[in-house]
Amino acid sequence: MSYWLQRLGAAIALLLAVSMLTFGAMNLLGDPLFNILGPSAGDTETEEGRQIIQAAKDEYNLDDPLPARYVQWAAGFVTGDFGVQFGLDGEPPVSDLIKERLPRTLTLLIMAQMMAVTLAIPWALFSASRADSAIDKVSTVTSFMFIALPSFALAVIMKYLFVIKFEIFPLIFNAADPLASRLWQMVLPAMVLALPAASVYQRLLRTDLITTLQEDYILTARSKGVSKRNVLFKHALRPSLFSFITIFAINTGALIGGALIVEQVFIIPGLGSAIVEAILREDFPVVLAIVMIVTAGFVVMNVLVDLIYSIIDPRVRAS
Amino acid sequence: MTDETDVAPVVAPADETTTRKLGIGFWISVTWIAVVVLAALLAPWLPLKDPDANFIVPGERPPYSPNGTHWFGTDQDARDLFSRTIFGARISLTVGFVAIACGMVFGGALGILAGFFRGWWDRIISFVFLVLLSFPALVLAILITALLERSQRTISNTLGILSISPVGRVARATTISFADREFVLAARTLGAKNSRIIIRELLPNVLIPMGALALLGMAVAVVAEGGLAFLGLSVAKGSTWGKLILNGSGSRLLADSPWVAFAPILVLFITVLALNFAGDRLRSYFDVKETSL
Repeated sequence: MSYWLQRLGAAIALLLAVSMLTFGAMNLLGDPLFNILGPSAGDTETEEGRQIIQAAKDEYNLDDPLPARYVQWAAGFVTGDFGVQFGLDGEPPVSDLIKERLPRTLTLLIMAQMMAVTLAIPWALFSASRADSAIDKVSTVTSFMFIALPSFALAVIMKYLFVIKFEIFPLIFNAADPLASRLWQMVLPAMVLALPAASVYQRLLRTDLITTLQEDYILTARSKGVSKRNVLFKHALRPSLFSFITIFAINTGALIGGALIVEQVFIIPGLGSAIVEAILREDFPVVLAIVMIVTAGFVVMNVLVDLIYSIIDPRVRAS
Repeated sequence: MTDETDVAPVVAPADETTTRKLGIGFWISVTWIAVVVLAALLAPWLPLKDPDANFIVPGERPPYSPNGTHWFGTDQDARDLFSRTIFGARISLTVGFVAIACGMVFGGALGILAGFFRGWWDRIISFVFLVLLSFPALVLAILITALLERSQRTISNTLGILSISPVGRVARATTISFADREFVLAARTLGAKNSRIIIRELLPNVLIPMGALALLGMAVAVVAEGGLAFLGLSVAKGSTWGKLILNGSGSRLLADSPWVAFAPILVLFITVLALNFAGDRLRSYFDVKETSL
């Protein structure tokens, strides 16, 4: 129990550190007043200009000291109030924007991970059961190439092949389409994320499976007459899944980054395009909210991995 | 399924002998990297076309497809893609090199200190590494490049900060594995100070696995620059590989003249593949473990 309290404490400390860093950097390196008002932020000559500046300062509490503003922001953030957008007179609130954009990025990520896992497990079982054969070598080279190919390059190649050449997938993501066709429009972007991820998983799982298959109990099972297929699925797979789960969680962080870029190529209005637009407008509440959501997702994944560990392997709980 | 004929797979024990060779693939990769680096370094003195000149052929609309004069073709402004790709390598590779050098110096120093002194040093440095690692890398890069001016120095430093903790963790783990060895004890018994032990005894041993990591890290940094370019956050001036690919990836241009995107993609891909492969071979050659301790 104290172990989980420690884990939780570390996770919260981390989120605090990241949010303070981000919040501080944006307020010290950037100029919030200028971001809100634009050029008229420097207009201190006229009475009217001073009034506008004072009104903006009051509205966004810019006269308060930085720690006070941080506490205010953090208190709002945990209750789901992410503040107001800078540029567009605070409309719509940041949380509305997030509510609209987050589901699309999440769908993309979940689809990509599901594709990656469904591809990686059979692929790893197949190549591990034929370790060092010619076909295994081909699959190793393939996975190596997918890992080396950057997501934006793969996105451009896939877009060229499947959208322009063979016209299998539509080019544009249309937010007004019914759910089914919106999901269909996300298949190709998800595939761009899934292929390298599947390659990473396959490489790791294959190595683990090969190690597991050399254990004595596998030989025992085989000599008892358990079929090769059953040995692979029932005896070898489960103990080989540990590092797979770790890499799955770690890779989720990398996939979030990839998703932001792939969204740009396939013009999906998700968190990626939201953060790019916000940066261009220097709309820091939006940037801050997205940074925090992404980091929180990352932290939660890591805690989840520990939890799953202790469920599938009781030895972890004991230590 | 042919259950009767084959038993549980046997892995060739040949691994032991094969891993001690770097192999032909390694040398091909190194050659390619050397050629690209040399081309990038010497670009202003090579007989290349001006990367910013518009080679418009009267009566024909650019982009022109690859031909004898323009090996990679030209982009929509009739600029020569071959020389643009080579000049792009100058920025892309510099960013990659500076980034990983930054990671080696700071990450390496912190990792060795943490691994050598342990205790509070180790706890604090490990926590800093953890914070840096928990930040999704791209988000940190977005933040810094968004807040500061998008110069080559900013991009390099940002990617450098990101490479501190992965490099540092390897340095720390390697240091720990060497710190209790006999040769360190021998040096200490002879009266060597901590600074001498670190520099003369530990550093040479830690540098070898870090060298393998440097190649992989450079690949990561080159790719990261491309990713930033797609978010509109790469170096503002000059052409980089990421910006070249971004330029060619618009739907119209991609449909009509795919070479504008595919020429730089090909060069980027081969370079990243070569860096990855060479780094991977080096790593298994020196048997580097990332997770020990």
